[in-house]
Amino acid sequence: MGTKQKYSTVGKRVPKLDAIDKATGRAQYIQDVKLPGMLYGKILYSKYPHARIVNIDTSKAEKLSGVRVVLTGEDIPNIRMGVYKDNPPLKAGKVRSYRDEVAAVAATEPEIAKKAIDLIEVTYEALPSVFDPITAMQPDAPLVHENHKTNILKMPWKLHYGDVETARKEAAHVVEKQFTTTWVTHCCLGTSGAIADFDNNNNLTIHTNTQIPSLAQKDFQETLKALGIPDKRVRVIKPVIGGGFGSKLDTYAYEHVAILLAWHARRAVKVLFDREEEFVATSTRQPTIIDIAMGCDTEGRLMFRDINMVLDNGAYTSWGVTTPSVMMMPITSLYRVPNVRYQAKCVYTNNTYAQAMRGYGNPQATFAIESAMDILAEAAGIDRLEIRRINSNQPGDETPQGFKITTCGLPECINAVEKVLDIEKPKTKGEGIGIASLIHVGGGARIYKSDGCGAIIKLDDFGKADVFTGASDMGQGADTVIAQIVAEQLGLEVEDIHVIHQDTDICPWDVGAHASRTTFVAGNAALGAAKKIRSRILELGAELMGITQTKLDLRNRHVVAQDEPEKTMPIGKLLRKAHFSHGGTMMMADFFYDPANENMGRDFRGNLSMTYAFGTHGVRLKVDEETGKVEILDYVAAHDVGRAINPMLLDGQVHGGVMMGVGYALTEQVILEKGRNMNPDFRDYKILTAKDAIPLTPVVIETIDPDGPYGAKGIGEPGCVPTAPAIANAIYDAIGVRILDLPITPERVLAEIKKKKGVDSCGIDPLTEKEQPC
Amino acid sequence: MSTEIKFNLNGNDIQVTVKDHWTLLYLLREVMGLTGTKEGCGSGECGACTVIVDGQAVNSCLYLAVELNGRCLITIEGLAGPDGTLHTLQQKFVEHGGIQCGFCSPGMIMSSKALLDENPTPTLDDIKHALAGNLCRCTGYTQIFESIQAAIDTGTEDVEVVAWKNET
Amino acid sequence: MKTFSYLVPKTLDEAVSLFESHSDRVMYVAGGTDVMVKTKQGKIAPDYLISLKHLSDLDKVKMNPDTNELIIGALATHRTLETSTLIRRQFPIIHDAVQHIGSTQIRNVATIGGNIVNAVPSADGAIPLIALDGVAKMYGPNGERTVDLIHFFEGPGQTVLEAGEILTEIIIPSQSSHTGGAYQKVGRRAAMELPLIGVGIVLTLEPDSAVCQKARICLGVAAPTPLRTLSAERFLTGKVLNEDILIEAGNIAAEESRVRDSIRGQAWYRREMVSVFVRRMGLKCLKRIEETN
Repeated sequence: MGTKQKYSTVGKRVPKLDAIDKATGRAQYIQDVKLPGMLYGKILYSKYPHARIVNIDTSKAEKLSGVRVVLTGEDIPNIRMGVYKDNPPLKAGKVRSYRDEVAAVAATEPEIAKKAIDLIEVTYEALPSVFDPITAMQPDAPLVHENHKTNILKMPWKLHYGDVETARKEAAHVVEKQFTTTWVTHCCLGTSGAIADFDNNNNLTIHTNTQIPSLAQKDFQETLKALGIPDKRVRVIKPVIGGGFGSKLDTYAYEHVAILLAWHARRAVKVLFDREEEFVATSTRQPTIIDIAMGCDTEGRLMFRDINMVLDNGAYTSWGVTTPSVMMMPITSLYRVPNVRYQAKCVYTNNTYAQAMRGYGNPQATFAIESAMDILAEAAGIDRLEIRRINSNQPGDETPQGFKITTCGLPECINAVEKVLDIEKPKTKGEGIGIASLIHVGGGARIYKSDGCGAIIKLDDFGKADVFTGASDMGQGADTVIAQIVAEQLGLEVEDIHVIHQDTDICPWDVGAHASRTTFVAGNAALGAAKKIRSRILELGAELMGITQTKLDLRNRHVVAQDEPEKTMPIGKLLRKAHFSHGGTMMMADFFYDPANENMGRDFRGNLSMTYAFGTHGVRLKVDEETGKVEILDYVAAHDVGRAINPMLLDGQVHGGVMMGVGYALTEQVILEKGRNMNPDFRDYKILTAKDAIPLTPVVIETIDPDGPYGAKGIGEPGCVPTAPAIANAIYDAIGVRILDLPITPERVLAEIKKKKGVDSCGIDPLTEKEQPC
Repeated sequence: MSTEIKFNLNGNDIQVTVKDHWTLLYLLREVMGLTGTKEGCGSGECGACTVIVDGQAVNSCLYLAVELNGRCLITIEGLAGPDGTLHTLQQKFVEHGGIQCGFCSPGMIMSSKALLDENPTPTLDDIKHALAGNLCRCTGYTQIFESIQAAIDTGTEDVEVVAWKNET
Repeated sequence: MKTFSYLVPKTLDEAVSLFESHSDRVMYVAGGTDVMVKTKQGKIAPDYLISLKHLSDLDKVKMNPDTNELIIGALATHRTLETSTLIRRQFPIIHDAVQHIGSTQIRNVATIGGNIVNAVPSADGAIPLIALDGVAKMYGPNGERTVDLIHFFEGPGQTVLEAGEILTEIIIPSQSSHTGGAYQKVGRRAAMELPLIGVGIVLTLEPDSAVCQKARICLGVAAPTPLRTLSAERFLTGKVLNEDILIEAGNIAAEESRVRDSIRGQAWYRREMVSVFVRRMGLKCLKRIEETN
């Protein structure tokens, strides 16, 4: 499949299929869904970061007119959420963080539910708390989960390939630094919510914002089992999702609470978060403390990378705890590095708990690695671009972790940034340039036993196709890309394709929208089904038109004879003939695509993804040396995307990802003070506004991956991965100060400037507890 | 307390009884079933609930319904023509990738319309200033700016829209 | 949300008598952007809201041709001020501030009076008005009175307004020639920010010289209420202004500020920004004076 081949829809800037519904206000989000007789659920959260629940008095709430159900942790069966099964949807006995769900109410009106929550009286007995993972690892630290005996989670995150100690001794240049990253959160504009509804036979329908309909179905089934109703059907319906970014990759207390309330009320119950709840009671990216050592030889070739990491797990365990498995990817495989050691400890604290968020650990690890690359380059006296070129991954490489690099556009990405950003352009005072690269999974990621996705295509009488996919669209445009792929195969127009992805009763199985896998995996699934249909149409066309199959093509909604262009038959007509005839045939095909990637072994080796995505970001910025404020003047994001199936949506992913990355680098931070969220609103949690938008040029490098659908790789996450180190590197280039902690606030920059000038210390930064000069 | 108010909604004169404490957003979404206007934060910090009252963009989550009396209101439902023809801004947002998850889109489009009604040829800085109160987490804003600039190039009045300016 | 009755008087007297007849849990409301947020959050729970929105003539921004005073009706929205040619040309310091208050949507509704009466340290609409020696005019059960705007504030959320009193106007006295003002809000983002610190400066030079005749330096978020840094003002008065003098004034103002740590920023940084922006705004004042003369 070469680049020269002409496609009719692949490669075109096709508008999103659902954009008109969204532009006109017709799209139905969970906020907009109402069922007849629906009740409104509300959750009461803990008033303490760590406390014993002595008593809960719900009598006043129960008496309030309009209240139908009141539940506490004592009233529910044993349900455990999350990968570590340490998190019940309502807590009994004790609370371990401010976001702990203590009780829940269902009432006829949202206002009544809110009032009822306020009437629940909980008596707590405060317990000693721990908010810092380093302290939490001490033997005398308060235990967040007593049964667990220690605050250190029993996770296997430890690898050592080659011989780091020897390499370190032999290295000509070694750098060693500690970096920290803090909590940031997704900030989906549409808040979380779910509606649970049982039918008379106790089958559950749940409308919920989820990126994992099939896995959520399983989680909810577990809850039904706990309720004593095993073997019931669970139907997951996804309304239009107001943003995902990883936040909907697990099932949450509010979903299970909706189910429990509905079960007791025998009515549909909706739980919908307000903005403050969205900030307080949904999960974050994991904060990290990263110790990195890295060394190279005299020529600048990397010899080893050695990383020790501590992750604040929070009080419960969701996917945040498994992010080290993804951090391993850049640690072992960003640039050629023969000797690698990595160890990560995930530690319980009384803080909020972390989850998946766009990039899944990669932004944290890359911040440390790419910052350290610049420090190493300086120590070795090698140009920053040069050291990256010397060590660049190349097609055909197998990395120490066993990743098989097939297509790799990293050298092209570096060149593109150099050229487009015009790196040699003279700089004014306070100006600097920084670059950073990334590797990410681009061809699925075998996290579970399966990395599969199903697709079913059904054609009607008129040449229109319904595509049922397991993929989850949360706004990124997965449905549109799938429609383009199917249209391309069947010679149809994109508007002939209807993609259905909202309902587990209808749609085939999929492991979820994660790891930038949807275009690759769901795209290949749709492609597989479309190919089957294509060959059946051609077969039938050959029969009806009396022309050999191999001489037929599908174009412009017609079966076309390649050599005799006047001989055509409308696909719709062909379909009607197929349907309306004796011994007729139904034009429907299914395909299940499970990539040939590998689960990681006990040593974490294994080719996790069919292909890998690469990219390089470059930024030109200016630092105001009196205020510490950073202004981005120019930004170039070059990505190896395999093939751009839809360049407009691709650019959208890059623009959105980079902007999220800039927020991560400069302004965003969930401020927790002794476990309490101090900024649960858009005023003080600072996602960037339209006025903060940066001049960004996306550069698309097409490497046409042999395994990708039409050569495509995933691009959902990479945009936000190397942003922070590119900015940190540019700040160093501009003013010679190295910021090791995110976010890079003006305070931190100014403090470092003063430290460099030798001004005395004026206190301790409350967030990093490091000395702050003034 | 309840009050009967009269106002013009997307070109139609209507009369409705509202409770004094109802926000305009509540009236639209919960009473009138017009769910195109979204609630993203409820405190005027995200702009998802933006509607146009007497030509000005306002946050309907902080605007009392009773204050509508005698005024003209345009919501996202009032932009497309009766036959479904999109307003130029809607069309350009669709064509230029100005929409991803779509939750901010109705508010974003209403803010854009208020801007263009007041200033048909805004600069990029004018656009950024006018949209600063409409948060978007998906797009990074660039394709939104491009959508608006494309609408400016087309001219926005080629679709019949019942705008407050046409009222007496 | 808390239910309440919404009363819509047409005159000031009607408003005041409505207030008096509903004694408990009654509040005035103008644009409502703060009142609605606080009511939703349960921070206030009024039974009656008396709207000031429909009082005639209190939303105007105009010059008094006889006194050359600028009259800003308390019900003028931030947007009215932002888009006023009069303000932009003759009082750019006010434009500096109002264009960055909230969003367009907020500025279309929220009033300058509401911003001032709210009296939260981060509401910075008052800072330029104080720097311009603005006077607050109030009307209440005991009639009309005025107070210098700097003395209007008594603490966070507290003002000299007595029960039933309404802020009606801000009067900016006639400005001497060779006067320039500038305001800067310091925040992290380019918009939707509450200030970490706000610095408003008005300087008047002697005609045909760079000698400072009068200086006003007013800081927001540098103390529980807007703060004039009098030592820095005195330091500047009578001096030939240049960058070095302004640097010194900035340092004095920073010393005078009573900044503190909060989640939005640390005290040492705020103090530092006072000294940086007193200099920068001072220079901007001088530039504006030069441009207009």
